[in-house]
Amino acid sequence: MINQNQESIGRKMKRVILLFLISLTCYSLFSLEVTSYVNKNKIGLQDILKFTIEITGENANDVNKPNLPNLEDFTNLGSSSSTSSSYSIINGKMQSSFTQKYTYNLRPQKAGNITLPSISFNFKGKQYSTNPIKITVVEGSTEPAPPFSSSNNEYSSDKLEDNLFIQAKVNKKTVYVSEPVILTYKIYTRYNIENMSYAEEPTFNYFWKEDIFNATSSNFSTTTLNGVRYNEMLLREIALFPSKTGQMKIEPLAMDIDIYISGQSFFDFGRTKRYRIASKPIVLEVKPLPENSKPHNFTGAVGTFNIKSSISKNEIQTGNSLTYTLEISGEGNLRQFKAPQLPKVKNLRYLDPEITTDINDDQISGKKILKYLIIGQEKGDFTVPSLEFSYFDVEKKKYQILTTAPYNIKVTQGSKTSPIGTSFAQTNVQMEGRDIAFIKDNFELTSYQPIYHKFLYWFFWILLLLTIPIAKLYAKENYQLQSNQYYQRQKRANKILKKYLKEAREHAREENSEFYYSAHVGLSNYLVDKLKIPRGSSTDYILKKMEKKIPNKIVKQTEEFFEQCNKARFMPGGFSPTNIRNDLDKLKNILAEISKKMR
Amino acid sequence: MKKIITILLSLFIVITIFAANRKQEILQQAVEKYENQHFKEALQLFQKLENENIVNSKLYFNIGNTHYRLGNLGNAILYYKKALKVKPNFQEAQENLKFALSQTTDKQVLESENFLSALWENILSRISLNLLAILSILFFACIIFLINLMIIRFRKREKTLPTFFTLVLILLLLLSLFLSFVKWKRYISKNEAVLLADSAIGYSGPNKEFTRVFTIHEGMIFKIEQQEEGWSLIRLANGMGGWIKNDTFKKILLAK
Repeated sequence: MINQNQESIGRKMKRVILLFLISLTCYSLFSLEVTSYVNKNKIGLQDILKFTIEITGENANDVNKPNLPNLEDFTNLGSSSSTSSSYSIINGKMQSSFTQKYTYNLRPQKAGNITLPSISFNFKGKQYSTNPIKITVVEGSTEPAPPFSSSNNEYSSDKLEDNLFIQAKVNKKTVYVSEPVILTYKIYTRYNIENMSYAEEPTFNYFWKEDIFNATSSNFSTTTLNGVRYNEMLLREIALFPSKTGQMKIEPLAMDIDIYISGQSFFDFGRTKRYRIASKPIVLEVKPLPENSKPHNFTGAVGTFNIKSSISKNEIQTGNSLTYTLEISGEGNLRQFKAPQLPKVKNLRYLDPEITTDINDDQISGKKILKYLIIGQEKGDFTVPSLEFSYFDVEKKKYQILTTAPYNIKVTQGSKTSPIGTSFAQTNVQMEGRDIAFIKDNFELTSYQPIYHKFLYWFFWILLLLTIPIAKLYAKENYQLQSNQYYQRQKRANKILKKYLKEAREHAREENSEFYYSAHVGLSNYLVDKLKIPRGSSTDYILKKMEKKIPNKIVKQTEEFFEQCNKARFMPGGFSPTNIRNDLDKLKNILAEISKKMR
Repeated sequence: MKKIITILLSLFIVITIFAANRKQEILQQAVEKYENQHFKEALQLFQKLENENIVNSKLYFNIGNTHYRLGNLGNAILYYKKALKVKPNFQEAQENLKFALSQTTDKQVLESENFLSALWENILSRISLNLLAILSILFFACIIFLINLMIIRFRKREKTLPTFFTLVLILLLLLSLFLSFVKWKRYISKNEAVLLADSAIGYSGPNKEFTRVFTIHEGMIFKIEQQEEGWSLIRLANGMGGWIKNDTFKKILLAK
């Protein structure tokens, strides 16, 4: 029985412990503790607020970094996080706990009472949120000024702004438009500066800006200001030429300065701390130039100036050039004003001046050299008139006009094709007025008629066209000549005949016996070609062939003529000069008959 | 008989030379009057020459100038157009026409905005009709020459080269004839006119009862599309059409 009871008690105990354990783990699994705090409730504008959210719990390291809502009054400079874990044994049970810390660096944007809002986040379906925190922001810094480096600690003020500041300074507070102003930025410090960088750089709207000096490395020197010794450094020097009138504000220059704070004890190695400092804004009063007494040739020069002029030559040839140099030196807006104009002189041509501006390192003094090229266009004596240069004198507060001396120059006739004359003196012709072109005089009053309307033109076309059939005929003829030997010979027969006949006639006139030879050979050759029989055929053969085509009467006559010829040529005493004329007539008669019959 | 013919012929030659000299003299007088700024007399003399049926671009140009000096902008434009019709590449006439057109009340579209048609007009204005006629006959002569050459030397088998050249020349001839035709068509066209009256109202029909469509002013160049009793249907360069009275304008015609 007892045994049974003990057993049941033991069983119960086991159940209770199990339940307890389960409930314990369940609790630790799902509960997180969230707190938030700041390092200070009262801070200065130059200080940085550290805002920390601490999350504790067994699963704290699983929590994502809570997102900060958009804070209007603070700039978030970044965050850091750290994790710590602790283990504890309670009632013999081991408990582990994680702490996750998120620290945000916030820089206040304005002074006053500011509330950091509640930050909330979601973790495993449960909403956690922090309490809002009230913070008072004051001007300057609430942090104690860092202790001085050992060498500089004779002064007792411990305010930061007394020991580290940027001074902006202008050489004049009231200026005229375009009058140069020198703006300098200097940093004064009694601390050991580790590092510095520009945070906000001023923009100079409505100013023409020329950098005179811009520090590239730290270069401190010791100085005494109001009886206090400082380390001083020139940061920037700028020449400003205002272009707008009125109250012109020069914005401050801000810098981030890292100061080294030495350790207070042997084990403290010291640390660096960042401060932001800015210069005070400056207001310049920019006055307009007086309008009422402004000279007509004022080109915008403001300052104090002197002028000098010279010419390179007193005598030139036409088409050549001389240089007129004007040097404007002094202090003022040398870069900005326009070149004064040389008064026009007929037959002298000026080219636009070549301008070189030579500014000293102070950016406000220097000289401007204007070189005018003067070209002589006609020969003669000319005067380069005096040139007026007007400027506004800022010291005397009125316009000044400076004049150069006039120069007499002589232009002689040069060669017409001077290379300078052509290359330098050329300009585009200017249109002076428009009018219609002048009428035409002295022309032939021929009446226009298109060639196409003329008969002769088309007649030529027809003539050209007619050459085609002519060519065709010629080609046909040529073809026959080349392809038909007899045709060729027939064509040639007349030529041969003519040749011999001419000879025969001459012989006849001279009553020469050679007549019969010519007549015989000529006639037989003629007949051979006409009858299309081979050359050198005998007289008998020729006559036989003739009979087929020509009436017998003519054949007979031909036979008789041949016999006559043979008689005269070969028989002694057969030749009698008196018969020649008669025989020539006979020959002519025969030829006429034959050519009539053999077409 | 022979003698009579000779006498008549020489008489005719003498008369023509004399007449030519007389015309030349009138021209000289007219030019002198113009130079001395007696524009009215100069105009009368110039018109005397024009009435002799002389078609001469320079004469038209001079008449245009004289009209311009007398303030007759419409007539000036009419005569510059005539001069350009005879000689399309007459540069001074082109410039004077442009200048006169810049002074008319109505803005007139001178150049075609389309690049291709501008190019086409440019080509057309550069080549004269007579040059085209000469080119055509030259091409034709070359073609005939080549054809004859091929006919005569028929035996030579290398006919490809002359055939090729002949074809090229035929193409050139066709082109030249085509351009000639276009230019000739323009030359003989009788439908272009210039407004001489100070202003004219275009109606939608050949009567004043119709709706007013537009008002044009002196110097306006337009085309005539249709002519009725006393009225003409005209088409402006911008495409507007309307009926205006016949006595307000003159056609750009060369001979009377």
